[in-house]
Amino acid sequence: MSYKIPMGPYHPGLEEPYKLDMICEGETVVDAELNIGFNFRGIEHLAETRNYVQVIALMERVCGICSFIHTLTLCQAMEKLTGLEAPPRAQYIRVVMAELERLHSHVLWAGIAAKLMGFKTMFMTCFALREKVMDVLQAISGNRVNYSMNHVGGVNRDIEDPIALVPMIDELEREMMRTVIPIFTTSSTARSRCAGIGVLTREKAISCAVVGPTARASGIAQDLRRDAPYAAYAEMKFEVPVEQAGDVRARLFVRALEIIESCNILRQALAKMAPGEISSAGEKLVFATGTATSRVEAPRGEVMYSVTWKENSRNPARVHVRTPTFANMPAVRWMVRGARLADTPLIQASIDPCYSCTDR
Amino acid sequence: MIALENLREKLGVAEPWVESRGTHWLNPGAATVRELAQAMNAAGARFVTITAYELPGDEGFRLEYHWDLQGLLLGVPFQIAGKSPESAKIDSIYDLSEAADWIEREVHEGFAIDFTGREYEPLMLRPGDKPGVNLRVAPAPDEPASGLQGQKEVAK
Repeated sequence: MSYKIPMGPYHPGLEEPYKLDMICEGETVVDAELNIGFNFRGIEHLAETRNYVQVIALMERVCGICSFIHTLTLCQAMEKLTGLEAPPRAQYIRVVMAELERLHSHVLWAGIAAKLMGFKTMFMTCFALREKVMDVLQAISGNRVNYSMNHVGGVNRDIEDPIALVPMIDELEREMMRTVIPIFTTSSTARSRCAGIGVLTREKAISCAVVGPTARASGIAQDLRRDAPYAAYAEMKFEVPVEQAGDVRARLFVRALEIIESCNILRQALAKMAPGEISSAGEKLVFATGTATSRVEAPRGEVMYSVTWKENSRNPARVHVRTPTFANMPAVRWMVRGARLADTPLIQASIDPCYSCTDR
Repeated sequence: MIALENLREKLGVAEPWVESRGTHWLNPGAATVRELAQAMNAAGARFVTITAYELPGDEGFRLEYHWDLQGLLLGVPFQIAGKSPESAKIDSIYDLSEAADWIEREVHEGFAIDFTGREYEPLMLRPGDKPGVNLRVAPAPDEPASGLQGQKEVAK
């Protein structure tokens, strides 16, 4: 006989508010229903009431973790409408900020995953490391969460001495290599909680069109930084980690390897950073009528903005945001099928869901 | 680029693809959205999203369907004539592209556009049971349940 267990919208096993109704037979989940919308703020509608300066500050608040990515994607779309292009130095600074944000997001996720595995000491280690990443972000932007770095045509703050940041990146990477990555990849606790759990097959991943580490852990080698480079990514050399197993462990591996690749990209960007201006924006922006799209590889996967403007208007006519969790979350239904009930919090966490983004 | 031309020929579209501000656009002509989804599946394109726009007056809506093909963002616009419940309809592609499920539901809720040939689960992004009040200029006539009450209904 089957029965339904509701989890959420507010539940100790969930990091953010959403509802997962699980249909179980004994301890096994046979199906699940997802309900979202508990954080709905109507940001797309609000964007239509904000001018081109205010809308950047608004969209920075779509997500607390990847706030830089959202303004980057928005500004890239707005740059296409104004004909402005960020100078080379600004493009490098955007890469540095985006990779620091990826590090910060992946380490935060690793901490939460460790907690859900019952690995509390690892949680503390990850969060201590995350502090170091946030220190670097603060050193660059002056802020720890919403960095206010992007504007149309460039960035707001320069990195005056990029090479001075390299030792901080080196130390971060050493700590990751010494503690986080070996423990996650070799410890029996991590293996027993993650291997063979929450499998998303390659076929299902393609069918659901999942993105980011969730896709790459199911054998799909897609990454916009390589496939459709933006900012200064075309000048960076890096690998795109791909795993085939499609389980929670594969998603863990992909993120662990991406941490190393991010450190690699950061060192390149800091070393190669071109001298010059950080902004090409003039006094007043002139927007062309029409729609521009922009896509960026956020820590959780592809973010896409469609921005529409009417000439001589100060406000956008429409801003549509497609966030990575919006693409990844429906796949959780397939991941939890056949899983033990006790594994479901870790399975849903393995896609690194963000409901602030998803609900907008 | 060969893949793009193959797609265009398969859909029987005479006009070429046009690159504009980050997207390769195709005017679908007489091709339907379902034919488009089938062609995209056959080409191995990844569904990205649908962006809905409300047009002025009684002109209806424009839906822009986006796919990713080998790193290229493709966009195909479809026009929906009229805004009444009888006219604001377009075929669903959910059965052809599972990934379109949530965005079809979101557009249905935000603009009260009906994607025919599918059923909707309870609303996603807004509590209550009256679609079309989030992003349409003219709200639906009946007010939905208040936020708190609606959230309680969904949470039941």
